[in-house]
Amino acid sequence: MVEQMVEGYVAANDHIIKRVGKRSIARANSPIQGKVGIVVGGGSGHLPAFAGYVGKGMADGAAFGNVFASPPAKPVIEATLAVNGGAGVMYTYGNYQGDCINFDKAQDKCREMGIPVQTVVLNDDVLSAPKDQAHKRRGIGGLFLVWHVAGAKAEQMASLDEVVAVTAKANANTRTVGVGLTSCIVPANGKPTFSLPDNEMEIGLGIHGEPGIKRVKVRPIDSVIDEIMEAILADLDYKGTDVALLVNGLGGSPAEELYVVYRRVKQICDANKINIKFKHVGNQVTALEMQGTSVSLMRLDEEMYQLINNTTVDTCMYKKV
Amino acid sequence: MANVTGALVAKSLVLVAKKVEENKDYLCELDGEVGDGDHGVSMTIGMRAVSRAAKALPPQCTPSEAFQSAADAYADEVGATIGPLYEAAFAAAAESVQGKQNLNEISDWAIVYRSMANAIQQLGKAQLGDKTLLDAFFPAVDHIQELSTKGGNLEAALLSTAERALKAAKDTRNLVPQKGRASRLGDRAKGHQDAGATSLAVVLKGFADGIKKG
Repeated sequence: MVEQMVEGYVAANDHIIKRVGKRSIARANSPIQGKVGIVVGGGSGHLPAFAGYVGKGMADGAAFGNVFASPPAKPVIEATLAVNGGAGVMYTYGNYQGDCINFDKAQDKCREMGIPVQTVVLNDDVLSAPKDQAHKRRGIGGLFLVWHVAGAKAEQMASLDEVVAVTAKANANTRTVGVGLTSCIVPANGKPTFSLPDNEMEIGLGIHGEPGIKRVKVRPIDSVIDEIMEAILADLDYKGTDVALLVNGLGGSPAEELYVVYRRVKQICDANKINIKFKHVGNQVTALEMQGTSVSLMRLDEEMYQLINNTTVDTCMYKKV
Repeated sequence: MANVTGALVAKSLVLVAKKVEENKDYLCELDGEVGDGDHGVSMTIGMRAVSRAAKALPPQCTPSEAFQSAADAYADEVGATIGPLYEAAFAAAAESVQGKQNLNEISDWAIVYRSMANAIQQLGKAQLGDKTLLDAFFPAVDHIQELSTKGGNLEAALLSTAERALKAAKDTRNLVPQKGRASRLGDRAKGHQDAGATSLAVVLKGFADGIKKG
Protein backbone atom coordinates (compact mmCIF):
# COMPACT_ATOMS: atom_id res chain seq x y z
CA MET A 1 0.00 0.00 0.00
CA VAL A 2 2.81 2.43 0.83
CA GLU A 3 4.32 2.06 -2.61
CA GLN A 4 0.99 2.86 -4.26
CA MET A 5 0.69 5.89 -2.00
CA VAL A 6 4.19 7.08 -2.96
CA GLU A 7 3.35 6.67 -6.64
CA GLY A 8 0.25 8.83 -6.28
CA TYR A 9 2.02 11.29 -4.03
CA VAL A 10 4.83 11.89 -6.51
CA ALA A 11 2.41 12.22 -9.43
CA ALA A 12 0.25 14.72 -7.54
CA ASN A 13 3.24 16.85 -6.54
CA ASP A 14 5.45 16.55 -9.60
CA HIS A 15 5.80 20.34 -9.85
CA ILE A 16 7.61 20.32 -6.48
CA ILE A 17 9.28 16.95 -6.08
CA LYS A 18 10.80 14.05 -7.95
CA ARG A 19 11.07 10.43 -6.99
CA VAL A 20 14.65 9.31 -6.37
CA GLY A 21 13.99 5.72 -5.26
CA LYS A 22 11.23 3.26 -4.47
CA ARG A 23 10.59 5.00 -1.15
CA SER A 24 12.43 8.30 -1.45
CA ILE A 25 11.74 11.76 -2.86
CA ALA A 26 13.63 15.03 -3.30
CA ARG A 27 12.85 18.57 -4.37
CA ALA A 28 12.53 18.71 -8.14
CA ASN A 29 15.39 21.21 -8.42
CA SER A 30 17.76 19.36 -6.12
CA PRO A 31 20.62 19.25 -5.54
CA ILE A 32 20.86 22.98 -4.94
CA GLN A 33 24.54 23.91 -5.13
CA GLY A 34 25.90 25.33 -1.90
CA LYS A 35 22.73 24.74 0.11
CA VAL A 36 22.58 22.35 3.06
CA GLY A 37 20.19 19.55 2.17
CA ILE A 38 17.65 18.62 4.84
CA VAL A 39 16.45 15.02 4.79
CA VAL A 40 13.46 14.01 6.89
CA GLY A 41 11.44 10.85 7.19
CA GLY A 42 9.75 8.28 9.31
CA GLY A 43 6.85 5.91 9.18
CA SER A 44 3.90 6.55 6.90
CA GLY A 45 0.50 7.43 8.37
CA HIS A 46 1.42 10.94 9.57
CA LEU A 47 0.90 13.13 6.49
CA PRO A 48 1.53 16.01 6.05
CA ALA A 49 4.46 14.89 8.23
CA PHE A 50 7.00 14.07 7.01
CA ALA A 51 7.15 14.00 3.23
CA GLY A 52 4.52 16.75 3.01
CA TYR A 53 7.17 19.26 4.03
CA VAL A 54 9.50 18.65 1.11
CA GLY A 55 9.74 21.85 -0.92
CA LYS A 56 10.97 25.40 -0.62
CA GLY A 57 11.60 26.62 2.92
CA MET A 58 11.52 23.28 4.76
CA ALA A 59 12.95 19.91 3.70
CA ASP A 60 14.85 18.86 0.59
CA GLY A 61 14.29 15.13 0.69
CA ALA A 62 12.31 12.46 2.51
CA ALA A 63 12.22 8.71 3.02
CA PHE A 64 8.96 6.81 3.45
CA GLY A 65 8.62 3.88 5.85
CA ASN A 66 5.75 1.45 6.13
CA VAL A 67 2.81 2.63 8.21
CA PHE A 68 4.19 3.70 11.60
CA ALA A 69 7.54 2.02 10.90
CA SER A 70 10.84 3.72 10.17
CA PRO A 71 12.16 3.52 6.61
CA PRO A 72 15.18 1.30 6.04
CA ALA A 73 18.55 3.02 5.53
CA LYS A 74 18.40 2.63 1.74
CA PRO A 75 15.79 5.32 0.91
CA VAL A 76 17.48 7.69 3.37
CA ILE A 77 20.74 7.21 1.48
CA GLU A 78 18.97 7.75 -1.87
CA ALA A 79 17.48 11.01 -0.61
CA THR A 80 20.84 12.11 0.79
CA LEU A 81 22.62 11.55 -2.52
CA ALA A 82 19.87 13.43 -4.35
CA VAL A 83 19.97 16.55 -2.17
CA ASN A 84 23.69 16.85 -1.54
CA GLY A 85 24.71 20.16 -3.13
CA GLY A 86 28.20 20.16 -1.69
CA ALA A 87 27.35 21.92 1.60
CA GLY A 88 26.45 18.77 3.50
CA VAL A 89 23.17 17.21 4.61
CA MET A 90 21.23 17.37 7.87
CA TYR A 91 18.91 14.58 9.03
CA THR A 92 16.13 15.57 11.38
CA TYR A 93 13.42 13.24 12.65
CA GLY A 94 11.51 12.18 15.75
CA ASN A 95 13.16 10.20 18.51
CA TYR A 96 12.13 6.59 17.90
CA GLN A 97 14.49 3.66 18.16
CA GLY A 98 13.80 2.42 14.62
CA ASP A 99 14.34 5.84 13.04
CA CYS A 100 17.55 6.35 15.03
CA ILE A 101 19.00 2.98 13.99
CA ASN A 102 18.13 3.31 10.30
CA PHE A 103 19.06 6.98 9.90
CA ASP A 104 22.33 6.38 11.79
CA LYS A 105 23.13 3.54 9.42
CA ALA A 106 22.46 5.79 6.44
CA GLN A 107 24.57 8.53 8.02
CA ASP A 108 27.51 6.13 8.44
CA LYS A 109 27.27 4.98 4.82
CA CYS A 110 26.99 8.52 3.44
CA ARG A 111 29.92 9.75 5.53
CA GLU A 112 31.95 6.85 4.15
CA MET A 113 31.10 8.19 0.70
CA GLY A 114 32.48 11.57 1.75
CA ILE A 115 29.22 13.45 2.32
CA PRO A 116 29.20 15.47 5.56
CA VAL A 117 26.02 14.44 7.41
CA GLN A 118 24.81 15.68 10.80
CA THR A 119 21.67 14.72 12.70
CA VAL A 120 19.25 16.52 14.99
CA VAL A 121 16.80 14.14 16.68
CA LEU A 122 13.62 15.77 17.97
CA ASN A 123 12.14 15.02 21.41
CA ASP A 124 9.34 17.46 22.19
CA ASP A 125 6.80 15.08 23.78
CA VAL A 126 6.71 16.15 27.43
CA LEU A 127 4.72 13.24 28.83
CA SER A 128 6.65 10.43 27.14
CA ALA A 129 9.47 10.54 29.72
CA PRO A 130 10.33 12.61 32.79
CA LYS A 131 12.43 15.73 32.39
CA ASP A 132 15.62 14.15 33.71
CA GLN A 133 15.29 11.50 30.98
CA ALA A 134 14.46 13.94 28.19
CA HIS A 135 16.71 12.00 25.79
CA LYS A 136 14.05 9.25 25.88
CA ARG A 137 11.22 11.56 24.87
CA ARG A 138 9.46 11.03 21.54
CA GLY A 139 9.25 13.53 18.75
CA ILE A 140 5.66 14.48 17.86
CA GLY A 141 3.89 17.65 16.65
CA GLY A 142 6.72 20.02 17.53
CA LEU A 143 8.66 19.03 14.43
CA PHE A 144 6.32 21.25 12.41
CA LEU A 145 7.62 24.32 14.24
CA VAL A 146 11.26 23.22 14.44
CA TRP A 147 11.43 22.54 10.71
CA HIS A 148 10.27 26.08 9.90
CA VAL A 149 13.40 27.35 11.61
CA ALA A 150 15.69 24.66 10.16
CA GLY A 151 14.40 25.06 6.61
CA ALA A 152 14.60 28.85 6.72
CA LYS A 153 18.20 28.77 7.92
CA ALA A 154 19.21 26.36 5.16
CA GLU A 155 17.38 28.51 2.62
CA GLN A 156 19.69 31.42 3.61
CA MET A 157 22.63 29.26 2.50
CA ALA A 158 23.94 28.93 6.06
CA SER A 159 26.63 26.33 6.75
CA LEU A 160 25.85 22.81 7.95
CA ASP A 161 27.05 23.65 11.47
CA GLU A 162 24.84 26.73 11.57
CA VAL A 163 21.76 24.86 10.38
CA VAL A 164 22.38 22.10 12.91
CA ALA A 165 22.87 24.61 15.73
CA VAL A 166 19.66 26.51 15.09
CA THR A 167 17.68 23.29 14.66
CA ALA A 168 18.98 21.96 17.98
CA LYS A 169 18.14 25.29 19.59
CA ALA A 170 14.61 25.19 18.19
CA ASN A 171 14.14 21.63 19.44
CA ALA A 172 15.40 22.54 22.91
CA ASN A 173 12.79 25.30 23.08
CA THR A 174 9.83 23.19 21.92
CA ARG A 175 7.36 21.20 23.99
CA THR A 176 4.25 19.23 22.99
CA VAL A 177 1.45 17.36 24.76
CA GLY A 178 -1.24 15.32 23.00
CA VAL A 179 -4.59 13.84 23.86
CA GLY A 180 -6.52 11.17 21.96
CA LEU A 181 -10.19 10.24 21.92
CA THR A 182 -9.94 7.18 19.69
CA SER A 183 -7.29 4.77 18.50
CA CYS A 184 -6.54 4.21 14.83
CA ILE A 185 -6.48 1.25 12.45
CA VAL A 186 -3.16 0.27 10.90
CA PRO A 187 -4.26 -0.93 7.42
CA ALA A 188 -2.02 -4.03 7.30
CA ASN A 189 -3.37 -5.03 10.68
CA GLY A 190 -7.01 -4.14 10.10
CA LYS A 191 -8.03 -3.61 13.71
CA PRO A 192 -7.83 -0.66 16.08
CA THR A 193 -4.50 -0.67 17.91
CA PHE A 194 -6.12 -0.26 21.29
CA SER A 195 -9.70 0.07 22.42
CA LEU A 196 -10.94 3.11 24.19
CA PRO A 197 -14.45 3.24 25.62
CA ASP A 198 -16.60 6.11 24.30
CA ASN A 199 -16.48 7.94 27.60
CA GLU A 200 -12.71 7.78 28.10
CA MET A 201 -9.65 9.44 26.58
CA GLU A 202 -5.88 8.98 26.62
CA ILE A 203 -3.64 11.78 27.80
CA GLY A 204 -0.03 11.94 26.64
CA LEU A 205 -0.39 9.57 23.73
CA GLY A 206 1.91 9.48 20.75
CA ILE A 207 1.19 9.53 17.05
CA HIS A 208 1.01 5.80 16.38
CA GLY A 209 -2.14 4.80 18.20
CA GLU A 210 -0.01 3.63 21.05
CA PRO A 211 -1.44 4.18 24.52
CA GLY A 212 -0.62 7.37 26.40
CA ILE A 213 0.40 7.82 30.01
CA LYS A 214 -3.04 7.70 31.55
CA ARG A 215 -6.64 7.07 30.71
CA VAL A 216 -9.26 9.36 32.12
CA LYS A 217 -12.99 10.02 31.74
CA VAL A 218 -13.91 12.38 28.93
CA ARG A 219 -14.27 15.89 30.34
CA PRO A 220 -15.22 19.30 28.97
CA ILE A 221 -12.61 20.37 26.44
CA ASP A 222 -11.42 23.45 28.36
CA SER A 223 -10.38 21.37 31.35
CA VAL A 224 -8.49 18.99 29.05
CA ILE A 225 -6.63 21.87 27.42
CA ASP A 226 -5.89 23.27 30.86
CA GLU A 227 -4.20 20.00 31.75
CA ILE A 228 -2.23 19.93 28.48
CA MET A 229 -1.03 23.50 28.94
CA GLU A 230 -0.20 22.91 32.58
CA ALA A 231 2.10 20.03 31.61
CA ILE A 232 3.81 22.14 28.92
CA LEU A 233 4.27 25.22 31.08
CA ALA A 234 5.55 23.15 34.00
CA ASP A 235 8.27 21.65 31.81
CA LEU A 236 9.70 24.85 30.33
CA ASP A 237 9.37 28.44 31.41
CA TYR A 238 7.28 30.17 28.75
CA LYS A 239 6.05 33.04 30.92
CA GLY A 240 6.63 36.40 29.28
CA THR A 241 8.27 34.90 26.17
CA ASP A 242 7.56 35.07 22.45
CA VAL A 243 6.38 31.76 21.02
CA ALA A 244 5.41 29.92 17.87
CA LEU A 245 2.35 27.77 18.43
CA LEU A 246 0.76 24.77 16.74
CA VAL A 247 -2.65 23.37 17.54
CA ASN A 248 -2.42 20.09 15.71
CA GLY A 249 -5.15 17.66 14.75
CA LEU A 250 -4.33 13.95 14.85
CA GLY A 251 -6.27 13.27 11.66
CA GLY A 252 -9.82 12.42 12.69
CA SER A 253 -10.94 15.53 14.54
CA PRO A 254 -13.05 18.16 12.76
CA ALA A 255 -11.33 21.49 12.10
CA GLU A 256 -14.03 23.14 14.19
CA GLU A 257 -12.81 21.33 17.30
CA LEU A 258 -9.27 22.51 16.77
CA TYR A 259 -10.42 26.13 16.87
CA VAL A 260 -12.19 25.45 20.15
CA VAL A 261 -8.83 24.16 21.37
CA TYR A 262 -7.04 27.24 20.04
CA ARG A 263 -9.47 29.53 21.83
CA ARG A 264 -8.58 28.03 25.21
CA VAL A 265 -4.85 27.86 24.45
CA LYS A 266 -4.90 31.57 23.58
CA GLN A 267 -6.67 32.41 26.86
CA ILE A 268 -4.02 30.53 28.83
CA CYS A 269 -1.19 32.17 26.88
CA ASP A 270 -2.68 35.59 27.53
CA ALA A 271 -2.99 34.87 31.23
CA ASN A 272 0.69 33.86 31.33
CA LYS A 273 1.86 36.80 29.20
CA ILE A 274 2.98 34.42 26.48
CA ASN A 275 3.20 36.38 23.26
CA ILE A 276 2.06 34.32 20.25
CA LYS A 277 4.15 35.58 17.31
CA PHE A 278 3.40 32.72 14.94
CA LYS A 279 0.48 30.30 15.00
CA HIS A 280 -1.01 27.50 12.99
CA VAL A 281 -4.17 25.45 13.51
CA GLY A 282 -4.64 22.28 11.48
CA ASN A 283 -3.84 18.63 10.83
CA GLN A 284 -0.05 18.51 10.47
CA VAL A 285 1.43 15.58 12.36
CA THR A 286 -1.32 12.99 12.26
CA ALA A 287 -1.92 9.39 13.23
CA LEU A 288 -4.10 8.12 10.37
CA GLU A 289 -7.72 8.72 11.38
CA MET A 290 -7.17 9.14 15.10
CA GLN A 291 -9.34 11.71 16.83
CA GLY A 292 -7.50 14.05 19.11
CA THR A 293 -5.19 17.00 19.28
CA SER A 294 -1.77 18.10 20.41
CA VAL A 295 -0.48 21.52 21.39
CA SER A 296 3.11 22.56 20.66
CA LEU A 297 4.86 25.69 21.89
CA MET A 298 8.28 26.85 20.72
CA ARG A 299 10.06 29.68 22.54
CA LEU A 300 11.43 32.20 20.04
CA ASP A 301 14.51 34.31 20.26
CA GLU A 302 15.10 37.07 17.71
CA GLU A 303 16.97 34.80 15.27
CA MET A 304 14.26 32.14 15.31
CA TYR A 305 11.51 34.72 15.00
CA GLN A 306 13.15 36.32 11.96
CA LEU A 307 13.66 32.93 10.34
CA ILE A 308 10.09 31.80 10.83
CA ASN A 309 8.62 35.17 9.92
CA ASN A 310 10.63 36.06 6.84
CA THR A 311 10.72 32.80 4.93
CA THR A 312 8.27 31.71 2.31
CA VAL A 313 7.33 28.06 2.58
CA ASP A 314 6.04 26.25 -0.50
CA THR A 315 6.04 22.50 0.12
CA CYS A 316 3.87 19.65 -1.11
CA MET A 317 1.36 19.92 1.70
CA TYR A 318 2.02 23.20 3.47
CA LYS A 319 2.39 26.79 2.26
CA LYS A 320 3.24 29.96 4.15
CA VAL A 321 3.76 33.40 2.63
CA MET B 1 19.92 -37.54 11.14
CA ALA B 2 19.42 -34.64 8.80
CA ASN B 3 22.30 -33.31 6.75
CA VAL B 4 21.90 -29.58 7.29
CA THR B 5 23.23 -28.10 4.07
CA GLY B 6 22.82 -24.53 2.88
CA ALA B 7 19.82 -25.70 0.88
CA LEU B 8 18.18 -27.03 4.03
CA VAL B 9 18.91 -23.79 5.88
CA ALA B 10 17.24 -21.96 2.97
CA LYS B 11 14.23 -24.30 3.13
CA SER B 12 14.01 -23.72 6.87
CA LEU B 13 14.01 -19.95 6.35
CA VAL B 14 10.98 -20.39 4.08
CA LEU B 15 9.24 -22.31 6.86
CA VAL B 16 10.22 -19.68 9.44
CA ALA B 17 8.56 -17.08 7.20
CA LYS B 18 5.40 -19.18 6.96
CA LYS B 19 5.21 -19.58 10.74
CA VAL B 20 5.74 -15.88 11.35
CA GLU B 21 2.94 -15.04 8.92
CA GLU B 22 0.61 -17.55 10.61
CA ASN B 23 1.21 -15.68 13.87
CA LYS B 24 0.86 -12.20 12.37
CA ASP B 25 -2.42 -11.24 14.05
CA TYR B 26 -1.40 -12.69 17.39
CA LEU B 27 1.87 -10.75 17.35
CA CYS B 28 0.06 -7.52 16.44
CA GLU B 29 -2.36 -8.10 19.28
CA LEU B 30 0.46 -8.49 21.80
CA ASP B 31 2.17 -5.37 20.45
CA GLY B 32 -1.03 -3.31 20.48
CA GLU B 33 -1.41 -3.72 24.24
CA VAL B 34 1.70 -1.67 24.86
CA GLY B 35 3.11 -0.53 21.51
CA ASP B 36 1.69 0.49 18.17
CA GLY B 37 0.32 -2.87 17.13
CA ASP B 38 2.33 -3.55 14.00
CA HIS B 39 4.98 -6.02 15.11
CA GLY B 40 3.35 -8.95 13.30
CA VAL B 41 3.12 -6.82 10.15
CA SER B 42 6.79 -5.75 10.20
CA MET B 43 7.95 -9.31 10.88
CA THR B 44 5.75 -10.69 8.12
CA ILE B 45 6.97 -8.15 5.56
CA GLY B 46 10.58 -8.93 6.45
CA MET B 47 10.20 -12.70 6.46
CA ARG B 48 8.30 -12.67 3.16
CA ALA B 49 11.35 -10.99 1.64
CA VAL B 50 13.58 -13.57 3.34
CA SER B 51 11.42 -16.35 1.93
CA ARG B 52 11.62 -14.95 -1.61
CA ALA B 53 15.40 -14.60 -1.36
CA ALA B 54 15.80 -18.12 0.10
CA LYS B 55 13.77 -19.64 -2.74
CA ALA B 56 16.01 -17.92 -5.28
CA LEU B 57 19.23 -19.40 -3.84
CA PRO B 58 21.08 -22.04 -5.87
CA PRO B 59 20.80 -25.57 -4.36
CA GLN B 60 24.56 -25.78 -3.75
CA CYS B 61 24.64 -22.64 -1.59
CA THR B 62 26.40 -22.76 1.78
CA PRO B 63 24.62 -22.20 5.11
CA SER B 64 26.50 -18.92 5.37
CA GLU B 65 25.16 -17.76 2.00
CA ALA B 66 21.63 -18.69 3.03
CA PHE B 67 21.85 -16.58 6.21
CA GLN B 68 23.45 -13.71 4.28
CA SER B 69 20.61 -13.68 1.75
CA ALA B 70 18.18 -13.34 4.68
CA ALA B 71 20.19 -10.41 6.04
CA ASP B 72 20.18 -8.64 2.66
CA ALA B 73 16.44 -9.21 2.20
CA TYR B 74 15.69 -7.69 5.61
CA ALA B 75 17.94 -4.71 4.94
CA ASP B 76 16.06 -3.64 1.83
CA GLU B 77 12.48 -4.29 2.87
CA VAL B 78 11.72 -3.62 6.47
CA GLY B 79 13.10 -0.60 8.27
CA ALA B 80 11.49 -0.11 11.70
CA THR B 81 13.60 -1.29 14.63
CA ILE B 82 13.13 -4.93 13.91
CA GLY B 83 14.53 -4.67 10.37
CA PRO B 84 18.10 -3.68 11.25
CA LEU B 85 18.06 -6.01 14.26
CA TYR B 86 17.21 -9.11 12.23
CA GLU B 87 19.45 -7.97 9.41
CA ALA B 88 22.35 -7.75 11.86
CA ALA B 89 21.38 -11.10 13.40
CA PHE B 90 21.29 -12.96 10.08
CA ALA B 91 24.51 -11.29 8.93
CA ALA B 92 26.21 -12.40 12.17
CA ALA B 93 24.86 -15.91 11.67
CA ALA B 94 26.33 -15.92 8.15
CA GLU B 95 29.72 -14.80 9.42
CA SER B 96 29.76 -17.31 12.29
CA VAL B 97 29.52 -20.35 10.00
CA GLN B 98 31.54 -19.06 7.06
CA GLY B 99 33.36 -21.87 5.24
CA LYS B 100 31.14 -24.60 6.67
CA GLN B 101 29.29 -26.86 4.21
CA ASN B 102 26.79 -28.11 6.77
CA LEU B 103 25.52 -27.41 10.29
CA ASN B 104 24.97 -30.92 11.62
CA GLU B 105 26.22 -30.44 15.18
CA ILE B 106 24.32 -28.92 18.08
CA SER B 107 27.42 -26.79 18.68
CA ASP B 108 27.05 -25.29 15.16
CA TRP B 109 23.61 -24.01 16.07
CA ALA B 110 24.78 -22.85 19.48
CA ILE B 111 27.30 -20.67 17.63
CA VAL B 112 24.68 -19.44 15.15
CA TYR B 113 22.17 -18.52 17.84
CA ARG B 114 24.73 -16.89 20.10
CA SER B 115 26.10 -14.79 17.22
CA MET B 116 22.58 -13.67 16.34
CA ALA B 117 21.72 -12.71 19.93
CA ASN B 118 25.02 -10.88 20.42
CA ALA B 119 24.55 -8.90 17.20
CA ILE B 120 21.05 -7.87 18.27
CA GLN B 121 22.32 -6.77 21.65
CA GLN B 122 25.17 -4.81 20.16
CA LEU B 123 22.90 -2.85 17.84
CA GLY B 124 19.80 -2.47 20.03
CA LYS B 125 21.79 -1.97 23.26
CA ALA B 126 19.19 -3.77 25.35
CA GLN B 127 20.14 -5.60 28.52
CA LEU B 128 18.69 -8.81 29.81
CA GLY B 129 15.49 -7.91 31.67
CA ASP B 130 14.66 -4.89 29.48
CA LYS B 131 11.66 -6.80 28.09
CA THR B 132 12.89 -7.30 24.54
CA LEU B 133 13.39 -10.28 22.28
CA LEU B 134 16.72 -10.89 24.03
CA ASP B 135 14.82 -12.04 27.10
CA ALA B 136 13.70 -15.02 25.03
CA PHE B 137 16.88 -15.36 22.99
CA PHE B 138 19.58 -15.46 25.69
CA PRO B 139 17.90 -18.20 27.77
CA ALA B 140 17.53 -20.20 24.55
CA VAL B 141 21.20 -19.62 23.68
CA ASP B 142 22.31 -20.76 27.14
CA HIS B 143 20.08 -23.79 26.78
CA ILE B 144 21.47 -24.93 23.43
CA GLN B 145 25.01 -24.24 24.62
CA GLU B 146 24.43 -26.60 27.52
CA LEU B 147 22.93 -29.23 25.23
CA SER B 148 25.92 -28.96 22.90
CA THR B 149 28.28 -30.04 25.70
CA LYS B 150 26.17 -33.14 26.31
CA GLY B 151 25.88 -34.19 22.69
CA GLY B 152 22.77 -35.87 21.32
CA ASN B 153 20.26 -35.42 18.57
CA LEU B 154 20.25 -32.06 16.70
CA GLU B 155 16.53 -32.06 15.86
CA ALA B 156 15.58 -32.68 19.50
CA ALA B 157 18.02 -30.01 20.69
CA LEU B 158 16.61 -27.38 18.31
CA LEU B 159 13.05 -28.20 19.37
CA SER B 160 13.80 -28.01 23.05
CA THR B 161 15.67 -24.72 22.45
CA ALA B 162 12.60 -23.30 20.73
CA GLU B 163 10.47 -24.42 23.66
CA ARG B 164 12.87 -22.74 26.08
CA ALA B 165 12.54 -19.51 24.08
CA LEU B 166 8.74 -19.72 24.18
CA LYS B 167 8.71 -20.23 27.92
CA ALA B 168 11.06 -17.29 28.38
CA ALA B 169 8.85 -15.17 26.07
CA LYS B 170 5.85 -15.95 28.30
CA ASP B 171 7.90 -14.95 31.33
CA THR B 172 8.41 -11.46 29.88
CA ARG B 173 4.97 -10.69 31.33
CA ASN B 174 6.62 -9.84 34.61
CA LEU B 175 9.13 -7.40 33.13
CA VAL B 176 8.95 -3.62 32.80
CA PRO B 177 10.04 -2.49 29.32
CA GLN B 178 13.13 -0.30 28.93
CA LYS B 179 13.38 -0.12 25.13
CA GLY B 180 11.17 0.86 22.22
CA ARG B 181 7.75 2.47 22.31
CA ALA B 182 6.49 0.31 25.18
CA SER B 183 9.17 1.73 27.48
CA ARG B 184 7.21 4.97 27.69
CA LEU B 185 4.43 3.12 29.52
CA GLY B 186 6.65 1.93 32.37
CA ASP B 187 4.73 -0.13 34.91
CA ARG B 188 1.59 0.03 32.83
CA ALA B 189 3.23 -2.47 30.44
CA LYS B 190 3.69 -5.01 33.18
CA GLY B 191 1.52 -8.08 32.75
CA HIS B 192 1.83 -7.99 28.95
CA GLN B 193 3.87 -10.54 27.04
CA ASP B 194 6.54 -8.99 24.83
CA ALA B 195 5.75 -9.28 21.11
CA GLY B 196 9.40 -9.31 19.98
CA ALA B 197 10.29 -12.09 22.42
CA THR B 198 7.30 -14.06 21.18
CA SER B 199 8.19 -13.70 17.51
CA LEU B 200 11.76 -14.77 18.29
CA ALA B 201 10.34 -17.97 19.78
CA VAL B 202 8.32 -18.44 16.58
CA VAL B 203 11.49 -18.00 14.50
CA LEU B 204 13.39 -20.61 16.53
CA LYS B 205 10.45 -23.00 16.27
CA GLY B 206 10.50 -22.47 12.51
CA PHE B 207 14.18 -23.44 12.32
CA ALA B 208 13.56 -26.50 14.51
CA ASP B 209 10.64 -27.67 12.39
CA GLY B 210 12.45 -26.90 9.15
CA ILE B 211 15.54 -28.91 10.07
CA LYS B 212 13.38 -31.76 11.39
CA LYS B 213 11.39 -31.88 8.17
CA GLY B 214 14.63 -32.15 6.23
